[in-house]
Amino acid sequence: MLGSMRYAVKTPLPNGLDELLTHARPAEGAPPNILRVLHAIHDVCGYIDPRFIPAIAQSQGVTEADVAGVLSYYPSLNTQPSGRHRIQVCLGESCLANRCDRVVAAIQSQLGIELGQTTSDSRFTLEPVACVGNCAVSPSVRIDGELHGRVRPSDVAGFLDRYR
Amino acid sequence: MSGVRLYLSNDTSSCAAGAERLAEAWRQRSDVELVRTSSRGAFYLEPMVERDSPEGRLAWCHVTAEDLPKILAGDGGIPISTIPFLSKQTRHTFVSFGVTEPLSLEAYQAQGGLAGLRNARQGSPSAIIQEIKTSRLRGRGGAAFPVWKKWDVAATAQADRKYVVANADEGDAGTYCDRMIMEGDPFRLIEGMLICAMAIGAGAGYIYCRQEYPAATACLRAAIRAAGKAGWLESDGQPFTIEVVSGAGSYVCGEETALLESLEGKRGVVRARPPHPAQSGLYGRPTIVSNVLTFATIPNILARGGAWHASLGTEGSCGTIALQLGGRVKQPGLIEIPFGLTLREVLDQFGQGMADGARLKAVQVGGPLGSLFTDAQLDIPICFDAFAQADAILGHGGIVVFDDQTDMLELSRHLMAFVADESCGKCVPCRIGSLRAREILDAIQRGQATEADLSLLTELGDTMKATSLCGLGGRAPYPVLSALEHFPVEFRSRLRS
Ligand SMILES: Cc1cc2nc3c(=O)[nH]c(=O)nc-3n(C[C@H](O)[C@H](O)[C@H](O)COP(=O)(O)O)c2cc1C
Ligand code: FES
Repeated sequence: MLGSMRYAVKTPLPNGLDELLTHARPAEGAPPNILRVLHAIHDVCGYIDPRFIPAIAQSQGVTEADVAGVLSYYPSLNTQPSGRHRIQVCLGESCLANRCDRVVAAIQSQLGIELGQTTSDSRFTLEPVACVGNCAVSPSVRIDGELHGRVRPSDVAGFLDRYR
Repeated sequence: MSGVRLYLSNDTSSCAAGAERLAEAWRQRSDVELVRTSSRGAFYLEPMVERDSPEGRLAWCHVTAEDLPKILAGDGGIPISTIPFLSKQTRHTFVSFGVTEPLSLEAYQAQGGLAGLRNARQGSPSAIIQEIKTSRLRGRGGAAFPVWKKWDVAATAQADRKYVVANADEGDAGTYCDRMIMEGDPFRLIEGMLICAMAIGAGAGYIYCRQEYPAATACLRAAIRAAGKAGWLESDGQPFTIEVVSGAGSYVCGEETALLESLEGKRGVVRARPPHPAQSGLYGRPTIVSNVLTFATIPNILARGGAWHASLGTEGSCGTIALQLGGRVKQPGLIEIPFGLTLREVLDQFGQGMADGARLKAVQVGGPLGSLFTDAQLDIPICFDAFAQADAILGHGGIVVFDDQTDMLELSRHLMAFVADESCGKCVPCRIGSLRAREILDAIQRGQATEADLSLLTELGDTMKATSLCGLGGRAPYPVLSALEHFPVEFRSRLRS
């Protein structure tokens, strides 16, 4: 009981998250599911603040180490906020064969950042991804929800202009 | 609506190629009735627009919004039946692709959907399993294990609960047929899972879908709701629930035991086997984990009989294979054909050779863990046995063609770095071996490696093959060692003398 109060004080949860965690509590006798909760938080916040770990652990009845272990294991769970727009460039083999390296280079020089970085104005985050199943019209670039196929380096400037 | 009915694919790749832009441009027009279908899989022709005619559907290819008057006038369309890429295929699992609306229950049934399930309901669980045994169907996720054997183990196991899990992780770069099924014909997957549930006595199913497939996830959820409303989701008089669960970007979570760990919400780490999932899987209960395409193949088998399926293909590889062609070929796309054509025949007849100006250097079959083939090796028949004999894999049917501008050392380093990143860390050969192998390849690129490092690379590869816990470490050395074997100069010329 004392533990739960301490966590509640130690972890200021943004609006709605405490409710989410209450809902995510496993039913009597049901197993916990850490990844499911992490997904739910990620969907709401766009990333998972590691300071939430104790509250997540408590909601699932597991240790903080368990939560941290799952959080660090999965590549797509971010622990930091990303830019307003997420650019994912596919580095899968079909895209490689179709010269995605040139597309990556064009984006990098346009934005002045490397893969894995965010622009200083927080407008774009550039991430690699391994195949989005768009291999037949590769190279593939996904910006937020929108997937672009057969992307040429010369297309890049035009694409980026559309995202403010 | 009185407009001309035009069919336009809603598939992710069709949209990425421009179909969505057409839909936006034409949506408001009163002279057009737009029907969003699945894709034929002839992606090199997308965006493609079709309309009805007395000779069947006519197609307009590489369409731009300005082509609309031409299409409405009926000018220049070609009959679908005259497109060799499509007419040379034998479509069974992908028969409705490009024809139907993915979420229409009526269209699914009009195309023969649910016939398999009805037949299954008339027989006993053991009769279903016998039919699958007769069909000689082998799993399509990579390991090519006989499907009936797994089902038989799970059916005879005693347990309070059993599960059916569709492996929709489709992690191999160069593959997209599971995505097409989930987006384009989701009821076929659901029907296959239902038949499996009846055969083994399962009450719940999960579809573990990779996060990179948001459209597939949404489509599946809508299809499950629709199937539930229509009263389809029951097995043996009991409700059968299906839930879609998202992955989180981990390749090794496609391995069936890592997938189960991930479904339980844990780190996706590979489990030691035995026990196999069919004996002890999700939450320790008997579980069938099968690939999406495997489940989607089941309805036809129950509808048309196991013997029908066994009559297609080759002796050891029955039925059809869904090949997914990508890379530097002229005509990339989905190809469903009976097993048995050679790799060269597929590349020539369907791929129509290399993209303009490109020359073939190597072909990778079976994803990032698949072996590389040179031009001289392309006469290998596409079937499980011939590939096993060649120390290669068909995997999930991905074929990626590389041209002569490809740096094989860089490709090898890329593939090994991928494995090093994705290793779950449970076994030492994979975790350490892949990292050391990547380091050696890095050193060769920097001009700092010696002949001794090349020997070490081969030795590491042999250890990984022999002692890794799962196929990730076990297969990782193959593409690299096959590159070294076929293109030795590209490695050796960069050694320190
Ligand atoms: C590293 C690794 C990744 C795998 N990825 C997938 C995958 O993405 N999809 C899949 O169906 N099978 C994958 N498999 C194979 C599965 O372990 C398993 O054999 C398969 O899901 C069984 O289904 P099937 O009998 O229908 O082939 C993978 C295996 C390994 C070793
Ligand atoms: S390899 Fe890039 S989409 Fe498949």
